[in-house]
Amino acid sequence: MSKLQVTLGELNNVDGSARLSVGSTKVVVSVTGPIEPKIRQELPTQASLEIIVRPSRGLSGTREKTLEDLLRLVLQAVIVRFKYPRQLIQIVVQFLASDLDKDESSSETGGRFNTGASYMTNELSAAINCCYFALADANVALHTSFAATSIAIDENNAPVFNAELPVLKKSLSHHTVCFDIQEKKASKILLVESNGAFSEEQLLSTIQSASVECERIHSEVQRLVLEKKIDADYIWSK
Amino acid sequence: MGKDAEISLNERNFVKEGLKNGFRLNGRSLDEMRRPIINIDKNEYGFVEVEFGKTKLAVRVSCEIVKPYEDRPFEGIFTISTEISPMASPMFENGKNSDDEVLISRFIEKAVSRSNALDLESLCIIAGEKVWHIRADVNYLSYDGGLIDATCIGVMTALQHFKKPDVTMKGTDIIVHDFDQRQPVPLIILHVPICITYSFFNPVDREENIKGDANLEIAIMDADRSEELVRDGFLVLTLNKNRELIQISKNGGLPIDGLALIELTQRAHDRCQELTEHIKALLQADEKERYKNMNLHLLEVGASR
Amino acid sequence: MSRLELYSPEGLRVDGRRWNELRRFDCKINTHPAFDGSSYVEQGNSKVICMVRGPMEPPMRSQVNQTQAVIEMNLNIASFSTLQRRKRSKNDKRMIEMKTTLERTFEQSVMSHLYPRTLIEVNVQVLAQDGAVLATMTNAITLALIDAGVAMYDYVSAVSVGIHDQTPLLDLNVLEENDMSCLTIGVVGKSEKLAMLLLEDKMPLDKLENALAVAIAGGHRIRDLMDDEVRSHGNQRVSKLTS
Repeated sequence: MSKLQVTLGELNNVDGSARLSVGSTKVVVSVTGPIEPKIRQELPTQASLEIIVRPSRGLSGTREKTLEDLLRLVLQAVIVRFKYPRQLIQIVVQFLASDLDKDESSSETGGRFNTGASYMTNELSAAINCCYFALADANVALHTSFAATSIAIDENNAPVFNAELPVLKKSLSHHTVCFDIQEKKASKILLVESNGAFSEEQLLSTIQSASVECERIHSEVQRLVLEKKIDADYIWSK
Repeated sequence: MGKDAEISLNERNFVKEGLKNGFRLNGRSLDEMRRPIINIDKNEYGFVEVEFGKTKLAVRVSCEIVKPYEDRPFEGIFTISTEISPMASPMFENGKNSDDEVLISRFIEKAVSRSNALDLESLCIIAGEKVWHIRADVNYLSYDGGLIDATCIGVMTALQHFKKPDVTMKGTDIIVHDFDQRQPVPLIILHVPICITYSFFNPVDREENIKGDANLEIAIMDADRSEELVRDGFLVLTLNKNRELIQISKNGGLPIDGLALIELTQRAHDRCQELTEHIKALLQADEKERYKNMNLHLLEVGASR
Repeated sequence: MSRLELYSPEGLRVDGRRWNELRRFDCKINTHPAFDGSSYVEQGNSKVICMVRGPMEPPMRSQVNQTQAVIEMNLNIASFSTLQRRKRSKNDKRMIEMKTTLERTFEQSVMSHLYPRTLIEVNVQVLAQDGAVLATMTNAITLALIDAGVAMYDYVSAVSVGIHDQTPLLDLNVLEENDMSCLTIGVVGKSEKLAMLLLEDKMPLDKLENALAVAIAGGHRIRDLMDDEVRSHGNQRVSKLTS
């Protein structure tokens, strides 16, 4: 299992930001909001979300649009949107490095353009996890904590977490699972995005092991990072 | 530019009054540049992060094999993309190229591509059939002035650092060797352009600026965000260490005396020398470290085994 | 380098000029009476029409500036203006750069604070390109703005200069422009103040001073030529009024 490395608040012109690196994926997320929306974005009763995903190289295309949509599904469910009516929360996800950049064969085949929207489970889970930290850094109200993980099922039917691209390409199926976390326990599924062929039992066992992994991410990374932030924020209370 | 592009009248006057008395709010002297912090990625080729004070950006150079343009069958293709997302500052809207963004990308294009900093003919594999397409993607993380200068430094460092896989020909087929099979090849860089931006302020009224002979205009190097929002005009100079001017762009703005401009180019050249040396030293240090990590010194003649 | 001899040992250029000679500069103002101001400028074979409307009420709210006039440039380069017919889109980066440059140049030399909450619309049409298009456009805009009666501090006159070996050559035509580095300047009135300065190709740093001096002198010459036209047109009008 690769380690998540997180730093908070390194950008100056936004309300919250986080940088996360896991495996060969590096991503920076910035959150600006609540701010005044453009008229067409405005919703009368709740906050609107503007989610922008930008690739590490090239222009954003279908792959990034898919990521934006999936991210929106998760974030809509966890942000306390009724708290910010007629406001906008702008989230920019900027990838700095992904598996595809390291994939040397991509230089022959035209790279990411051939892969379309597949094999993006590592990017999706990294983006979701990084959004959590950036939202927390921006002090946007959340219903619950959430964490995501990517699992591949390799040829021997064994689960591999955060598999690198070559492993991913050989795997039978791969899944991105995102859980919400209440009372330190993974309780509800926010997102399951699966690719490839798999049986029902496989899916269930994958989700099972994902829930354990999400709890681990929460207790080993999220709590520590946030506690450190709280310590730094409330420095006068000591 | 939309939100946040405005700056309050008070701050505007404060910045101007300071400059009139020869002070900048950031404590730098008028022609002092921020020292760029350049981080070269240890694991990859051609990935560089540049910090220029609070301005931050990441440059990634990548390559792929494509068919060349029909009118230039012997040349590879080089593109630079400089799109600014709202991450850098909410004043940049997503997908909407403001005039300033277009100017930035034109400046970089002229400084790097048009001046032939990258030798395109060396990117040709089979004439008219297959050439390398090198692209530099600049991702802006945070904006605090000096985007042009920082971008140019970032792109040039990344280009000099980047290595593309080696290729061999087998009949009409080409084989791309991965990095373990054969040593990757660096790009051929013909010269290193450095961009220096001067911002101009008018301490007097406009009539005095145009009609008077006093030439009181203030020029500062490497403005930060508040200075960029207040300035009355700017000048982008691109030079290299061979005392060649590559680009001068003063796109309107405050009229400046010709002689004063010439003096600025001379001072910019000194900065250009320093920066070129700085980048060179960094790249050499990186090369050395990689060399050590690969244990290549064992191959050297006379090394103790 | 091309086979053309751009500067002969006798000191003559491809079109027979000396190093410090301008091309034929021909200008007319008030060519399109339907507009508030208009001009037609020929610099060698480069031909530009410019038409100005305003200061007027801005049609869009976004164009309102409470403190000064907003200047809007619309550039159009005819597809028949070069030898190869090529349609230039309005969103071409080069076009946007020229448009922004011209807008920002004239923002400074028009007394825009006299016309708050108004729009000055400048339409430029390039009919033929023979080098130094940006310079020709600048001169045409200056004349059209004067014809429109917009208050300006002074003329902005533009000219290009190139460096061939050691000698600066004034006012390049397209053949020369393609083969040497070309510096375009916009000079304000009779001063040595530069409103605009563009160099896109390599030039030795030490040659800049020399080139600038020649260019500024050329700019002043063009200012005088424009001034003659403005004054003679003015006299003509006055004589019509009195008779």
